[in-house]
Amino acid sequence: MPQVKIIAKNFMDMVASLPAMKLDNLYSNAFICEAILRSLPPLAKKYVLQMLCIEAPVSAKSMEEWVLADGSTKHKVAIDRLLQLRLLTENVDRKRETTYRLNPVLQSNLQKLLVCGEVLPREPMPTNVIGKLPSLENLEDFAVEQWECFLLQLINSSQAERPSNISSSTMKVFQRGLLSQREKEAPRLTESGFQFLLMDTNAQLWYIIREYISNSEERGIDPSDLISFLLELSFHVTGEAYNINSLTEVQSSTIKDLADLGLVKLQQGRKESWFIPTKLATNLSMSLTDSSSRKQGFVVVETNFRLYAYSTSKLHCEILRLFARVEYQLPNLIVGAITKESLYNAFENGITADQASCIPWLFYIISFLQQNAHPRVSERIPSVPENVTDQIRLWEADLNRIEMNPAYLYDEFPSREVFESACDFAREWNGLLWEDSKKMRLMVKAEVHTNMREFLRRAKQ
Amino acid sequence: MGHGEKGRPHKKHKSSAKEEQRSTFVEDDDGYFGDEVDDDLRDGEGKKRDFSKLELKPDHANRPLWACADGRIFLETFSPLYKQAYDFLIAIAEPVCRPESMHEYNLTPHSLYAAVSVGLETETIIAVLNKLSKTKLPKEMIDFIHGSTANYGKVKLVLKKNRYFVESPFPEVLKNLLKDEVISRARITSEGLQGNDGFTISKSMGEMGNSHDGLLNEAELAAAAEEKETHSFEIDPSQVENVKQRCLPNALNYPMLEEYDFRNDTVNPDLDMELKPQAQPRPYQEKSLSKMFGNGRARSGIIVLPCGAGKSLVGVSAASRIKKSCLCLATNAVSVDQWAFQFKLWSTIREDQICRFTSDSKERFRGNAGVVVTTYNMVAFGGKRSEESEKIIEEIRNREWGLLLMDEVHVVPAHMFRKVISITKSHCKLGLTATLVREDERITDLNFLIGPKLYEANWLDLVKGGFIANVQCAEVWCPMTKEFFAEYLKKENSKKKQALYVMNPNKFRACEFLIRFHEQQRGDKIIVFADNLFALTEYAMKLRKPMIYGATSHVERTKILEAFKTSRDVNTIFLSKVGDNSIDIPEANVIIQISSHAGSRRQEAQRLGRILRAKGKLQDRMAGGKEEYNAFFYSLVSTDTQEMYYSTKRQQFLIDQGYSFKVITSLPPPDSGPDLSYHRLEDQLSLLSKVLSAGDDAVGLEQLEEDADDIALHKGRRSMGSMSAMSGANGMVYMEYRTGRKLAGQGQIKSNKPKDPAKRHFLFKRRYG
Repeated sequence: MPQVKIIAKNFMDMVASLPAMKLDNLYSNAFICEAILRSLPPLAKKYVLQMLCIEAPVSAKSMEEWVLADGSTKHKVAIDRLLQLRLLTENVDRKRETTYRLNPVLQSNLQKLLVCGEVLPREPMPTNVIGKLPSLENLEDFAVEQWECFLLQLINSSQAERPSNISSSTMKVFQRGLLSQREKEAPRLTESGFQFLLMDTNAQLWYIIREYISNSEERGIDPSDLISFLLELSFHVTGEAYNINSLTEVQSSTIKDLADLGLVKLQQGRKESWFIPTKLATNLSMSLTDSSSRKQGFVVVETNFRLYAYSTSKLHCEILRLFARVEYQLPNLIVGAITKESLYNAFENGITADQASCIPWLFYIISFLQQNAHPRVSERIPSVPENVTDQIRLWEADLNRIEMNPAYLYDEFPSREVFESACDFAREWNGLLWEDSKKMRLMVKAEVHTNMREFLRRAKQ
Repeated sequence: MGHGEKGRPHKKHKSSAKEEQRSTFVEDDDGYFGDEVDDDLRDGEGKKRDFSKLELKPDHANRPLWACADGRIFLETFSPLYKQAYDFLIAIAEPVCRPESMHEYNLTPHSLYAAVSVGLETETIIAVLNKLSKTKLPKEMIDFIHGSTANYGKVKLVLKKNRYFVESPFPEVLKNLLKDEVISRARITSEGLQGNDGFTISKSMGEMGNSHDGLLNEAELAAAAEEKETHSFEIDPSQVENVKQRCLPNALNYPMLEEYDFRNDTVNPDLDMELKPQAQPRPYQEKSLSKMFGNGRARSGIIVLPCGAGKSLVGVSAASRIKKSCLCLATNAVSVDQWAFQFKLWSTIREDQICRFTSDSKERFRGNAGVVVTTYNMVAFGGKRSEESEKIIEEIRNREWGLLLMDEVHVVPAHMFRKVISITKSHCKLGLTATLVREDERITDLNFLIGPKLYEANWLDLVKGGFIANVQCAEVWCPMTKEFFAEYLKKENSKKKQALYVMNPNKFRACEFLIRFHEQQRGDKIIVFADNLFALTEYAMKLRKPMIYGATSHVERTKILEAFKTSRDVNTIFLSKVGDNSIDIPEANVIIQISSHAGSRRQEAQRLGRILRAKGKLQDRMAGGKEEYNAFFYSLVSTDTQEMYYSTKRQQFLIDQGYSFKVITSLPPPDSGPDLSYHRLEDQLSLLSKVLSAGDDAVGLEQLEEDADDIALHKGRRSMGSMSAMSGANGMVYMEYRTGRKLAGQGQIKSNKPKDPAKRHFLFKRRYG
């Protein structure tokens, strides 16, 4: 498998990378403590619970005894994680003995949670104020639509219907890395952008959220505020309405952006306005650890390289257009063909100055087709016909037939003898690429050049 | 044919000769224009079709198809209504591609003409289409159907009691026709039958046994089956051709359907023949026959079935239903023999009622009715004939044939058809073919010369049903050796390009490897195809295998084929393109193609057809049976040459039928070394110099001459472009074949094919998993 460049990095990795101060501040919020606990690997989770009521430091040795011998790697991973997140504090005493203690703020918050039970971050608004709430299906449709619209905008598609509130500067931030923005050129998708588009929604969402957070300081917002708000948001109930007035200033400006991403739906009443979290928002913390939510596939690829996508989505159409020739658009079907030209078009986007970076575009395309295979063909093995995947690989291989080697050309040798000895010399150094004995010219690899020059200089004398 | 008097150009050959010339200088020309037309239809981004605004019906999930305003139709094959929808679509539309999950069809004027001619009416077409469609039918499509069917199928030409009638349910159409001078002059007015318009009024049977019943409600069905009143007038038999001509789309645009009311034909004597009880047509054969005999009469038209799917049984069945004299036309003498054999095999026809008419055998049937099997050339030949054959041809001319059965209609030039059809008087014409594609655009001509396409089977469905073999197709990429490629790129070798890429030593080694593998490991029977005569001879000689090409005599051909069929020691034969069509070699199950005729899709399909005849037990072949693949088709191409380009083009037809080509890049296996020929550079270089020193004409394509005609007996055989024949290589090859026989008894080849997975070559293991 080729190296994947933008992995939807675990949200917790980002939390862990916050400065110690901010991290400690985060734990004053009970919801964050809960969210963090949820996201931990099983063994780490167990340690936190086990130490929940122990106020004294626990020695590392005794903790080691909690696991069997073969679990020592897992143990180490768990402890590392806990230290990273500053859930445990490490202490080495004078006897060189290491002890661990649970973060006291977190500890008390979790204890409270255990005793008093879960409280919602804020109370949903009573239905008599807001009237009829949108149904869950409507909400889901809204979320999908918002998200697709956002993505279309992100890739600068002309298909995007309406502009969103997201400021163009923020949008530029998202596009950074995904689109190449050379001057006087229409922005094009980069390799990462290509990979991004072919990822599943959850992974895409995490990528965007991560960018959004890491960029917050430029907008004068504390990243830890954002993180805590996002985590808090995930403890709201899908489909319920919450009053916007209950939000802080930072939060209420953030919520507008989140509405554009489809995480919440904003509604305005006569007096008050409220937001309704969608599944995208409430799944945030739950999908922290597992990012695979299986959606039903929609693509059928035939042995004749034709591609049928059961989809009404413009985004899907745009994605297919990245590597296939779209021929027909029907109300619920997109018909296209994978051709050499259409694929080369895709490859072209990804060819960077660095030739050596083997382009895994192919891999993304094939795995996109496989992951989204229509149920009708997904049971068939392989779900994408073998001849199609083979051919795609061959087409790509065709692009890599030429290898570039920096080299130096030598000519105008004073005599045949010098020429021949130069050839021998180059051969000895394993650097002779080409020779033309008639015209006495030869070509050597660049790395042999200095030696060669030295050799010739000596030969001259 | 083609051995005619000197200085007299053979008109009938013109087009095929042209075709060959063109491909000899392939680099000058694309070869074919037919392809381009097709490509245009597929071409897309510029004129992408957006029909996303069509209104979806609420229960669209239960309906199987989408119809676009430009005539394209998409059909889901996993719909429960697939079978019915398929039968319907194949009747009204032209299949574009038919892979596993989704079929595409095009609605064209021709396809609608065919639909009308098998008795579907405009309103029925629209109603059924609407019923099957997931969306509301686009208005453009409805208009198109109306527009295209307005004139089609309105007029029929009926031969009743040996009088030709122009028949139509619409008297106003007939009046329209009679305004034409040619037609009105051809009309014969009989006394006593003067109605208002002078038309004879009669009742005719409605369409029966149409299989779209499930899709139509009862009222619609009843309407279809109702007796209809038809009006008709008689025309002069000698003017029939002219009248038909006037009715073609480029003139009056009322193309005539031809029907033969054979049950009421009392003038022509009956032929006493029945299908034998063991001849049981398969479902798709029945279906194609039911399209032909749908209303109790015999319709003229074309039936398209893949090779090996039993076209001859359809032909014989049709003849035994009509039970009148039948003229059967084949492309060459070998297939004449095969047709005669098929008639005797499937029907109760007596030995003396069937006769073959070729240059070698001039039989005449006794009695007043019978079957004559001959070649197109024998009938169409315009030159001087021997006295004996003159008599026979006279007889053919004068007789009224109940059925004109034409095999392989896709290969015969259109003007040849015209000639044949004008020479022979027939009541009903049935064309048979496997591939209704022509690289020229003459398929249209066929539509009007013979009749519309009556039925076309889906290849994949037949494979799934186990009726034809499941073929594994592979394209083997053979890199050119350095030396060959250097020569290939030289300008002065432009005429030798083909020879160079065909004789590429890597290709030879791959071919040798495959032959060895299939002969020894699987005990298969192999055909190797090469269009290039030079290569054919080189390969065959080097590998010591028998070969057949244009100049091989009939007797020798029969002998070689017989040995291939029966002998356990002759498992591989080399064929030039004479083997493309209609030579029936049911034993073969592996094809290796080393050179081919430019981008011809038809040739590729025909060659594949040689191994489509299903072998082994039915249940093994069915989907999920023991043997996933039981036949293999290899196309060997030299990489980085023109061949790659052609190869893609050639495969298009098969790919559209749902076949897939697996690309193999690692043949022969790198460790095969000196086991195979041309391992050493010296050998390769001597081969290269052989290719380079051969004359330009010797390394070109075989200029195929049609089978030996009558005239060959009078004139010396003229063999264009086959140096080997002139140099006596002809006999040499025969010797090779004898030597092959001497090896008998070493018997490494077992008659039981080893199917043990352990014995399979690693390249194939993956396949079987």
